[in-house]
Amino acid sequence: MSITPIDRLEFIRITAAATSVRKDTKSGVSVAPSASVTRALALRVNGEAVRLDVDTRVTLLDALREQLQLFGTKKGCDHGQCGACTVHVNGRRVLSCLTLAVMHDDDDIITVEGLERNGVLHPVQEAFIEHDAFQCGYCTAGQIMSAAALLNEPCGPSDDDVREQMSGNLCRCGAYPNIVAAIQSARGRA
Amino acid sequence: MPSRSVGRSVVRKEGRGKVTGAARYIDDLTFPGLIHARTIRSTIPAGEIVDVAFGFDTSGFTLVDYRDIPGRNIVALIDDDQPCLAERLVRHVAEPILLLAHADREALLAADVRIRYREAVPTYDATTSPIAFKTIAIDKGRIDQGFREADVIVEGEYRTGHQEQLYIEPNGVIAVPEHGGVTVYGSMQCPYYVHRALKVLLDLPDDKVRVVQTETGGGFGGKEEYPSMIAGHAALVAIKAQRPVKLVYDRVEDMLATTKRHPAVIRHRTGVKRDGTLTAIDIDAVIDGGAYATLSAVVLSRGVIHATGPYRCDHIRIRGRATMTNTPPNGAFRGFGAPQTQFAAEVHMDRIAEALGIDPVRIREINALRPGDRTATGQRLGRDCSALAVLRETVKRTDFKRKWRAYARLKASRCLKASRYKEGGSRGIGLSLFFHGAGFTGGGEVKLASKASLALTDRGARILVASTEIGQGTRTMHAQIVADTLGVPYDCVDVNAADTGQVPDSGPTVASRTCMVVGRILQRCAEDMRERLGRLTPREYLKRHGPLVITREYERPTDMAWDDNSYRGDAYGTYGWACDVAEIEVDRETWEVKPIAFTTVHEIGKAIHPVLALGQIEGGSAQGLGYALLEEVVMRDGRMANAQLTNYIIPTTLDTPPIDVVILENPYKHGPFGAKGVGEMPIDGPAPAAINALRNAGFDLREIPATPERVMVSEKQEPRHALHA
Amino acid sequence: MHPFSYEKVTNEHEALERARLGKATFVAGGTTLVDLMKLNVEVPTALVDINGLPLNQIEDRSDGSIRIGALVRNGDLAHDSRIQSRYRVLSQAILAGASAQLRNMATTGGNLMQRTRCYYFRDPVYPCNKRQPGAGCAAMDGYNRIHAILGASDTCIATHPSDMAVALVALDASVHIRAANGERVVPIMEFHLLPGDTPDRETVIRPGELITYVTLPSGPFGPRSAYVKLRDRASYEFALASAAVALQLEGTTVRSARVALGGVATKPWRALEAEQVLTGAAANKATFLNAADAALTGAVPRRHNAYKIELAKRAVVRALADALTH
Repeated sequence: MSITPIDRLEFIRITAAATSVRKDTKSGVSVAPSASVTRALALRVNGEAVRLDVDTRVTLLDALREQLQLFGTKKGCDHGQCGACTVHVNGRRVLSCLTLAVMHDDDDIITVEGLERNGVLHPVQEAFIEHDAFQCGYCTAGQIMSAAALLNEPCGPSDDDVREQMSGNLCRCGAYPNIVAAIQSARGRA
Repeated sequence: MPSRSVGRSVVRKEGRGKVTGAARYIDDLTFPGLIHARTIRSTIPAGEIVDVAFGFDTSGFTLVDYRDIPGRNIVALIDDDQPCLAERLVRHVAEPILLLAHADREALLAADVRIRYREAVPTYDATTSPIAFKTIAIDKGRIDQGFREADVIVEGEYRTGHQEQLYIEPNGVIAVPEHGGVTVYGSMQCPYYVHRALKVLLDLPDDKVRVVQTETGGGFGGKEEYPSMIAGHAALVAIKAQRPVKLVYDRVEDMLATTKRHPAVIRHRTGVKRDGTLTAIDIDAVIDGGAYATLSAVVLSRGVIHATGPYRCDHIRIRGRATMTNTPPNGAFRGFGAPQTQFAAEVHMDRIAEALGIDPVRIREINALRPGDRTATGQRLGRDCSALAVLRETVKRTDFKRKWRAYARLKASRCLKASRYKEGGSRGIGLSLFFHGAGFTGGGEVKLASKASLALTDRGARILVASTEIGQGTRTMHAQIVADTLGVPYDCVDVNAADTGQVPDSGPTVASRTCMVVGRILQRCAEDMRERLGRLTPREYLKRHGPLVITREYERPTDMAWDDNSYRGDAYGTYGWACDVAEIEVDRETWEVKPIAFTTVHEIGKAIHPVLALGQIEGGSAQGLGYALLEEVVMRDGRMANAQLTNYIIPTTLDTPPIDVVILENPYKHGPFGAKGVGEMPIDGPAPAAINALRNAGFDLREIPATPERVMVSEKQEPRHALHA
Repeated sequence: MHPFSYEKVTNEHEALERARLGKATFVAGGTTLVDLMKLNVEVPTALVDINGLPLNQIEDRSDGSIRIGALVRNGDLAHDSRIQSRYRVLSQAILAGASAQLRNMATTGGNLMQRTRCYYFRDPVYPCNKRQPGAGCAAMDGYNRIHAILGASDTCIATHPSDMAVALVALDASVHIRAANGERVVPIMEFHLLPGDTPDRETVIRPGELITYVTLPSGPFGPRSAYVKLRDRASYEFALASAAVALQLEGTTVRSARVALGGVATKPWRALEAEQVLTGAAANKATFLNAADAALTGAVPRRHNAYKIELAKRAVVRALADALTH
């Protein structure tokens, strides 16, 4: 039998159905986890109420990816130095790798998956496609979440104003000119 | 046949997936029963392993060392000198020694492995290293005669440092044991490189190894050869544990352990007549290969072939060496040796102009290669040689000569005032003229013998190639070539995943060859398919004749010849030509260097997809400006000391000036629709253009990056670099 | 990461009780702490989340001062209209630091507790007296272009990374610290400690204490002030050298001045010598040059950071000129 890759969303559904027990990543092996501390959280992610049990050590980024299977948010450096993991918490853009999931009980989180409304892309997403504002795509979710937040932040009209406000999102492909153009066009539309 | 999508900027094949977060990269995938692996690496630069001790309960862990390797303990590439896991000898910090795997990542990270070593004396200086992985000599004419003809001789030494590729997605793979073999999924540029390395490492036949590229978050060369290493590691663990294994590096590990651009020291000695004609070019180039050969031989090859810059000269002597040091192996990075050597050539060219008292444009106009001229290797250039065209277009577009003279005059008047703090901004404008050979060097393409396939589908065709999409637009551009050749809409062409179980070996996705070489093979497939279809639609054909898959192999243009022993002949099928102009502002009070405008004219044969081509040029230029001004790898005792993005910095959007790109098209007769390569060339020019702009502003730098402390001490007194012969 | 307990508190009393009872570490924005926990540089066993405390207001006080709650986010502080008009240097300094995302997370109190970006502190492979007292210092004779030229000791030459704190020094700010047994107010200049023999102790905060507020006096220094930051790239980058200055003028004469340096010292550095040169002197370029020289008289360069002396001087001159013409 050939095993084909499945994304984790599908996998969790399969295993959840099979075990009906909360996901246990420890696999019953006797190492260190005895001291880990787990807390229950209730929060809203992309508009939906979510309940989670998290190890206190888990970052918001890892909780979104590993437990909620929202893989759109990327881990580029895991230390707040690249911006790829940008999400919105209570309407503000933050770095999900530098905050612990356990700190977000009752918070409202929006990820790149939550921007689309009924199959209609967010104006920033539309503009990114129109302006080819990405190449490899790995920083793109972070760029888009930053840009979507920027639409509601104090920011001057010039390209340099946008650049300053977007300087926390690194793009090694160097799609910067197209990213700035996309954001300016989305600002014009919004 | 009317062209319907080529030359138009159609929507990227994978665009929507990337903006909605639906695109799946390696770390977004899992498999039932998956465990995680971790690499235990050496902490010394040179020596022997004495013993290994485990400071944790190993039950529940899978442990792998070199004794678990069923085949040969090498990362098969060129010289086969690099072990997949060190046995006894250690040649660099972060050399892989052991692999651990466990289902729980925290347990895995907590596992304490202690290795004792007997240390040896490391070598760090590439110029004095006694071990050379490769030496190359290129001779044209008689160098002594060239110097005898010279009125002036100009000498100089130029240095470039490491550069980290810094793709935002770190290296990562998943290995799955299946069918008595292994399947590896991963972030990579070259599935068949990995395929071959795994066969040798695991002693498995072709059909027991399958390699599948997943969506890849950037490569820039950094995922050319290294994935063979990480895939080997994951595969060894997967086979031993008989479970799927994920091995994804974190940023620090990726920076510490994986390849970087080779540092280089390049010396020029050039003879020139008073009228500016070059009479002799003598170049000595040393690149630092790091601890193992990896791709150093071919990086050196491309480096020395481009070392003269795009200039004609009857008497040329080039000596190149790639040497061993006890640092992590250096490898492929966009440009592949040419950015280093053309940095030296182009900064040197400005210094030659300065020595003769002529302007930077004139010296280049006099010496630029023209159709019919011969390069250093004796290659006669055809009509698609565009050095003068890109130079003239760039100069005109930027008003270069007027600005250059005006800034130079300002500089001269400032030099007279000996005030301690110079006030205000000081501008400079600099130019670089460069070229880049597309495809593998010399006989490389013949050896590769790449294949591409096209399968007929109900609505059009499906492309089957091993070329990978890493952001540059492979899928989109290939689909355009096929669509227009076959005469179907762009949307009717699908692109298969780069899966060695399904696609033929189209060679690696490197060397600016994916459009020009693989695209051309695909075009031939499409031509054949169109002929087979005749007047039938794809659906009708399938109904009547059944499935149709056409496979074609690379065909060497009959007018190409290369001799690897003498290094003479046609080094590349063709070259792209480009000219950059950087305008910078130096704050003379604070030494802040700010690029304020950047213009580049690229002649690339044909832009299949103008927006994608512009993206390649803008992106390569941004990386080139980072190379020039910001990026510095700090090696301390053979270990990268600044292996975090907070201390190794790359350009932000604010560091990237508006980039004015002009594409010129001078078709290459063997390229699809006339296209040449475009991926690498853009990174060759920005560093010399920026450093020449600093020279115009009064700062004499011979080394990059131009950090504030280097700029501070580089302020020129007066030009006196010429030694009169 | 090592396991730890977590508790969120909603009032100061609770927070201080938790801190008094065990070895609790407060977390607010998390941008420094979580980062260093991942590197195993910080290894707390108990985290107390103080984001629920009512310390997120910027208040005008009757004496003309402004009181900033310790939980006010850096971005909110920088964009506050009162701060922008009355304490320009503070707004400038904050906006010169980090990125929009980080400024949305980082707090006023947390910024004061920010830790160094020294390569060797952040990488447990190297010895570091700050991370592990007595272990040695890899920076002293290693690659040290980003390290301190002022305030260093034989044990540590790590620079303090904050921009905000440098501005606070130029504004004579005070830090309010609450403990279970009462409150104390510490002038910002005394808040951070020199490394001396104990580089692991970076501030006067004792275990169990909590920063509650930072106050900015109404003083003469706010409006005519400026921050200049010199760094390797244009944004999202720590200072190689920075200067926060504030001037009080009488006609064309400097009546009094504040000069503080960032990126070059082991703590946010007040350059009293420069202030002396400025006081009573004509507000012109010549004076500023003398002040800059004075600011750096005590500088001790290492192998790779001598350039910072000149760079810091340039930052001082530029900042003074900017404050003057503003």
